[in-house]
Amino acid sequence: MFEELEDYRQKIREFALKEFTEDVAAEYDRKESYPDDLRRKSLSLGIVDMQNPAKVLIAIEELCRVDAGLGIALTTPYFGSEVIMLFGNDRQKEILNDVYSGKYILGLGVTEPSGGSDVAALKTTAKKQGNKYILNGSKMFITNGAIADYLVILARTSEDSNPHHGLSTFLLNTKSKGFSATKLEDKLGVRATNTAELQFNNIELSEDDLIGEEGKGFYYIMMFFNISRIYVAAQSIGIARGAFDKIKSYIKENNVKDEDSMFRLSDVGTRIEASRQMTYNAASYLFEFKPKPELTSMAKAYSSETAVYAAEEAMEILGDESLYESVQRIFRNAKIMEIWEGTSEIEKLVIARYILKGE
Amino acid sequence: MEEENNILRETVAEFCEKNLDEKKIETEGITEKLTELIASQGFLGSAVPDKYSGSGLDETSYEIILEEIAKYSPSVAMKIFILNSMYYPAVKGTSAEDTLNDASTGKISVAVDFINKAGSIESESGKAKGTLKNILGTDADKLVVFGDSTSIVSGPFKSDSRDFMGFRGLKFGDLHLDNSVQVLDKHSRMAEIMENSYGPASAIGLGMISGALQKAIDYTNVRKAFGNKLRDFEPVSFRLARFRAMESILRNSLYSRIDPYYTFNFAMEHLVEIARYSVNTHGGYGYFKDFGVEKFYRDAIVMKSIFYGTDELRKLTEHVYSEKINFV
Repeated sequence: MFEELEDYRQKIREFALKEFTEDVAAEYDRKESYPDDLRRKSLSLGIVDMQNPAKVLIAIEELCRVDAGLGIALTTPYFGSEVIMLFGNDRQKEILNDVYSGKYILGLGVTEPSGGSDVAALKTTAKKQGNKYILNGSKMFITNGAIADYLVILARTSEDSNPHHGLSTFLLNTKSKGFSATKLEDKLGVRATNTAELQFNNIELSEDDLIGEEGKGFYYIMMFFNISRIYVAAQSIGIARGAFDKIKSYIKENNVKDEDSMFRLSDVGTRIEASRQMTYNAASYLFEFKPKPELTSMAKAYSSETAVYAAEEAMEILGDESLYESVQRIFRNAKIMEIWEGTSEIEKLVIARYILKGE
Repeated sequence: MEEENNILRETVAEFCEKNLDEKKIETEGITEKLTELIASQGFLGSAVPDKYSGSGLDETSYEIILEEIAKYSPSVAMKIFILNSMYYPAVKGTSAEDTLNDASTGKISVAVDFINKAGSIESESGKAKGTLKNILGTDADKLVVFGDSTSIVSGPFKSDSRDFMGFRGLKFGDLHLDNSVQVLDKHSRMAEIMENSYGPASAIGLGMISGALQKAIDYTNVRKAFGNKLRDFEPVSFRLARFRAMESILRNSLYSRIDPYYTFNFAMEHLVEIARYSVNTHGGYGYFKDFGVEKFYRDAIVMKSIFYGTDELRKLTEHVYSEKINFV
């Protein structure tokens, strides 16, 4: 499937090289601002095709290869759309069409100040009052939080002895009364992406805002993680390849021949190839609507560690040269891969659980 | 002796706790006022002899100061290191050694081109011309440059300062030189100076390891997930415990002076690994400046990239084999 899309890959590569120049990438990184002009341009050129999941992965990988901050900023306006696509009602799907067309920006709010990994422990509530839900609470580290028009929000709608039960997903209009977002600044990397803390103060949601069935939210989000973790794996492969590009150029331009550098180059290349095979394999199950969470988590954990490994290797192999902006930006961007959409520790717990379940 | 060292350690730690606001240092840089304060405590010129207005401390005391300060601010530790371990040995015994008086008291600031190791400037009729890239301390009054010779260039400098990933307390950027230059030694002292700095560089590495690790231990002591403190999860606390053991081994190795090559290698090999994991333990919070842990990761990779490359590994290897090796 991926081999058939080489022309598309080339198109994305050309777009990224043309638009994500060093000056542009460095400026957005420095200012820590969202590149809305580039988002609009990418839309007009059909850079992200959400109807074709293989193309989405290729776009993420090739954009992040040139600059992960900008690449992620351009591929996350749809973040959370899969929850609506799979479980949303007609009205929500109409809004989704406007997200795909670029009219609206979407985001997804799961993580809270008190915890990210432990999803079921969230404290945000949406209490039923008549035919309305009243949303109260807060969310943390939400991508697009301060620029989104709509947010998919996970909240507790009822108490249950099983903490996984009683959680529901809602589509929240950010113009709703009682909503506020505070942009979080001074991130280590991916600084062109928007990250915010959200506050919900007695926001009225209608029954029509509920996504899918009440009480099924935890499972919808776990299903979503099967998709978003593949996206992170693709981001990671892009970052690792960007670092690999820098290492190769440095070795060639400086006629580096020592065997230590050759071995390091070889190790980075091998890990990238393994990450790609794992990610495409996990994605192939997902595309057939038969996700294998253990394969997804393996791909996410391994690819994200590869991104960090490749970025650190680039810094060390390039030595003094690595102090230039492009290489150190790759290093700063890489670290978040091991953290968001499930830390490496969480991925390893998922992997172990499924391995034992399989027996 | 041990008691004196402990008192010194406590004194420096107390000073850091009270005066080193690392977030401010990262944003505003090391101000003149802070430099004067550090100098007034005798930390700035700690290893510079007292005849040059330094403190004339022994190696151990100097390294304790670097270690303790690096736990709070690797930038401040690096500033002290540049003066004591790079600038001082470059200018001592030369016509520029009188500059040490002002440098040790914080009246002037100094930089050393140890990143480029370029010496690519042209010098003619007493003027240095050209651009030196990637200088830590672009606001310096005096700059030592290593090329075929060892030279000193006098500021003020025309510079393009820019944001830098590591050691953000020090101004970083390129210098465009059209300044007076003075040759101090017809030979480059770079290799000798770098090799003699293994101990102090290890002390900074140790301080950074210690600072980052303490942040992780403190955080995992209070942060909960799945109803338990993070420290209750074996993969997390086992790893942090191993790191603390490594930190202790490094400290013993440094101060017992077993072998500076091994100590330096150990510090550089584990610095990034420990700083990286300390960020991990903080989850999303670790990615933000406010929690003060990501700076150790940034500074760690810069430290390793600058100080620990193929040359250092070759030196270590030849040290192990006790002879020169013709690497393929």
